[in-house]
Amino acid sequence: MITGLVAFPQHSAPGLALAIEIMARVGEELAFVEAGKDTGLLPINSLIMDLEEVPREGSPAEYAASLTAVRSILDQILDGSGKFTDESIQFLNDWHAGMSSILTAWERGGKTPAPTSSEPSAKVLAPTSVAPPGTAPYRSPVAQPVADEPAIRLNLAEDSELLREFHGEAQELLQNIEQGVLVLEENPGNADTINSIFRAFHTLKGGAGLLHLDTLRELAHDLESLLDAARRSELSITSEVIELILAGGDTLKQFIREFGAQLQGVNPGEPIAIPTRTLRQRVRTTVSGGRSPALPTVPTPSPAAPPTPKQPESTAPESSVNQSPLPAPASEPAAPSTPATAPAKARSESAAKTESATGFVKLDTRKLDSLVDLVGELVIAQSMVVQDPDVQQLANRHLARCLRQLSRITTDLQRTAMSLRMVPIGRTFQKMTRLVRDLAAQQQKQVQLVMEGEETELDRNIVEELSDPLVHMIRNSVDHGIEPPEVRMAHGKPALGTIRLSASHQRGGIVISIQDDGQGLDRDRILSKARERGLIKPNATLTEAETFALIFAPGFSTAEVVTDVSGRGVGMDVVQRNIEKLRGKVEIQSVAGQGTIFNIVLPLTLAIIDGMLVGVGDDRYIIPTLSVRESFRPRPGMVTTVHERGEVVSVRGRLTPLLRLGQHLGTPGRATDPTEGIIVVVESGDAARGLLVDELLGKQEVVIKSLGETFRKQDLLAGAAILGDGRVGLILDVDTLVRCERTNNPANGDLGS
Amino acid sequence: MIGFRKVALNEFMKQEPPPLNIAAKPGRYLTFKLGPESYGLPVLGVREIIRLCPITPVPKMPAYIKGVINLRGKVIPILDLRAKFQLSSEGYGERACIIVVQVGTSPTTQMLMGAIVDAVEEVVQFSAADLEPTPDFGGAPSTDYILGMATIHGGVKTLLDLDKVFLQEGLLTLITPETQKSKTQIT
Repeated sequence: MITGLVAFPQHSAPGLALAIEIMARVGEELAFVEAGKDTGLLPINSLIMDLEEVPREGSPAEYAASLTAVRSILDQILDGSGKFTDESIQFLNDWHAGMSSILTAWERGGKTPAPTSSEPSAKVLAPTSVAPPGTAPYRSPVAQPVADEPAIRLNLAEDSELLREFHGEAQELLQNIEQGVLVLEENPGNADTINSIFRAFHTLKGGAGLLHLDTLRELAHDLESLLDAARRSELSITSEVIELILAGGDTLKQFIREFGAQLQGVNPGEPIAIPTRTLRQRVRTTVSGGRSPALPTVPTPSPAAPPTPKQPESTAPESSVNQSPLPAPASEPAAPSTPATAPAKARSESAAKTESATGFVKLDTRKLDSLVDLVGELVIAQSMVVQDPDVQQLANRHLARCLRQLSRITTDLQRTAMSLRMVPIGRTFQKMTRLVRDLAAQQQKQVQLVMEGEETELDRNIVEELSDPLVHMIRNSVDHGIEPPEVRMAHGKPALGTIRLSASHQRGGIVISIQDDGQGLDRDRILSKARERGLIKPNATLTEAETFALIFAPGFSTAEVVTDVSGRGVGMDVVQRNIEKLRGKVEIQSVAGQGTIFNIVLPLTLAIIDGMLVGVGDDRYIIPTLSVRESFRPRPGMVTTVHERGEVVSVRGRLTPLLRLGQHLGTPGRATDPTEGIIVVVESGDAARGLLVDELLGKQEVVIKSLGETFRKQDLLAGAAILGDGRVGLILDVDTLVRCERTNNPANGDLGS
Repeated sequence: MIGFRKVALNEFMKQEPPPLNIAAKPGRYLTFKLGPESYGLPVLGVREIIRLCPITPVPKMPAYIKGVINLRGKVIPILDLRAKFQLSSEGYGERACIIVVQVGTSPTTQMLMGAIVDAVEEVVQFSAADLEPTPDFGGAPSTDYILGMATIHGGVKTLLDLDKVFLQEGLLTLITPETQKSKTQIT
């Protein structure tokens, strides 16, 4: 169980919270901005306009200046081409980073200047641009024009294989870093974690160096030095350092995301320019000075009250507290800190060795899939040999022993091959820790995330597809579920909200549940909204489940329903669509004032299930054994007709509706009288139904295979499986069978023929 | 368009250069029989030819979806081309087999499908001179999925558009749950 506990102080300034939120949204928009296009320009412009209207009491002096700066740049873009350029994107990114620092300073009540690198960008935008007056409250002495920050160009033609590997590896490393940081937050002195983060940056640096991705290598190098200092206890892990590591990880992630996009064929060969200089500057200053000038710790007397230029830089070397071999940035600007490299290299070589000892192999999933298919074929071929009548007649004891050995090996082989594709869901869960932390910080809520069942294994294809819907739902829980601390206190709940994320095997599948102890869904508001939108008739009466299901209707933003927080409102319809793609479903339980539970019920598509093989007419079908409650041959009198239409079977005093499977599938079975057949009672959720089949043919472990696009539109079958004789058996979708409306009419029992 | 085709066909009767309005491209085609008629598929889309094997029928599907088979661990759908083209149907003989084709253009939509045919003939190289446009039947048999016709050895082959035969009709017009219901009530 992992908990991430986040608590944030309340802001005194009324405008600050709003400004922080707006900046977060600007950041989101910035992520989609592309050079040569106007995507995001208008949203950003309107967000900046919002920002300009935010009350400014208590804001640092640079705040207003920074706003003026961005306004003039935006106006230039709007008056000019109306499209972003590499330079203006660079500026906006720098500005965003700078503004975030200003807001942080504001939050801390300090008036420390933050480097808004508007100056260099303004230079780049020349000649049309005039440096905005009153901007650039601080210009770093080492700041160089943005053009000096070299863009990375991927050599896709030659290095594509290496890049692909690096891309995959980097993603994993970055995640390790993030995980490590979260551990450090709770336990700053954890040497193992510091080491593992150090190693991760080091490995990244090595990979980037190999591929000549210089900007990336330099950034990773600086971050590595930061961790190195921490490793040698020359630098204590403060919240500033953690912020720096996270910021570094995020920047590296941006690169990696770009690489991924280009590897997928989006703008291949385009130069990738993501600002790193400001960040590297801060990292280097921290390493050399033991703290960051941009984010001064609160107890330290602020080194610079007025925003005078050069202030942080000049104080940094003076307050130096360590013997770091790194040169002070002021003395040797952009050059990589050579003295540090040698010892670092020696140390990290041993680190790299320990890492390779973990024994993982990266594998192309297509190879894996074809291996699993082939092993399945092998198992079938083996059983065909064993069951061959000629072979069985041989009665040769030696041969029989060999064949037994063969089947044991093939069975083991199959099990191993299957397990290769299963991965624990924990990794996906852990990503949510960061999400909750960031969201809670952003909204000044106190939220803890409790995770259970992280070891539950799922097919990796499902795990991959699950990440996005989970992000949406966790986001909704923090946004709209958990109330602000004071509201929670007023309702007698602990200020700390809890989101419980759990995975478990249930009902023949895997259930992932997201439970929050927030305010719950408001039925009346959902209903009134639905009526307003014409989704339901004005006088319709809906059950609770039906009401909650309305939030999945397209365009039915939960934001508008549950709270008045507007804006992000991630459509739950998207979540549902994604889950349905995985042949799963989402169930909602909610009690007003006490919280909401979202259950994502996923089938084990592509995984192995225990199947019950039943015969209907000439065909065979597989029913997932986990959905089967019982099966029996009915005695006369157990089956009764209701209204001459519906049939029910009475089992130990319980009445269960009966469905003649053959008739339902259009291949009438042999058993016209229920007593000639077998009734299999299946259940899904809380509903059950008896299925009348001709015979039970046995139980078998089968590998679920997708029926493919051709049969996507039917919901009768959950998939297919290769049976022991090499033929395809179809797996029935129990949920559809249990819920289908069709009733039997024994009066014309051969309706289907 | 139709008028132009007629003119083009008439002209082709008189003189040698083929008309321009043929979707079929010169190249190699796999020819096969459906009843007495002969058809061709671009050979590039054909993955393999396998013997008729037990087919698992899929319930509530149109008649031309014969069912699914196991192709070395992959479950692939099988189309009955005779049912699909509404030809008279009788049992399949000794020489019947399944042509496995790959359809779809992008890697994500690519998939294998099979078609039962009465007999596979041969792989033929058609030059531009062998190809003719699809004659206009006045709309009665839909000719959307026909690339064109080819004459060779005195016989006429109908050349089929792989994606149109297997994807558009095979996928998009599959019955939805609604039509399924009404269908079961009728049958």
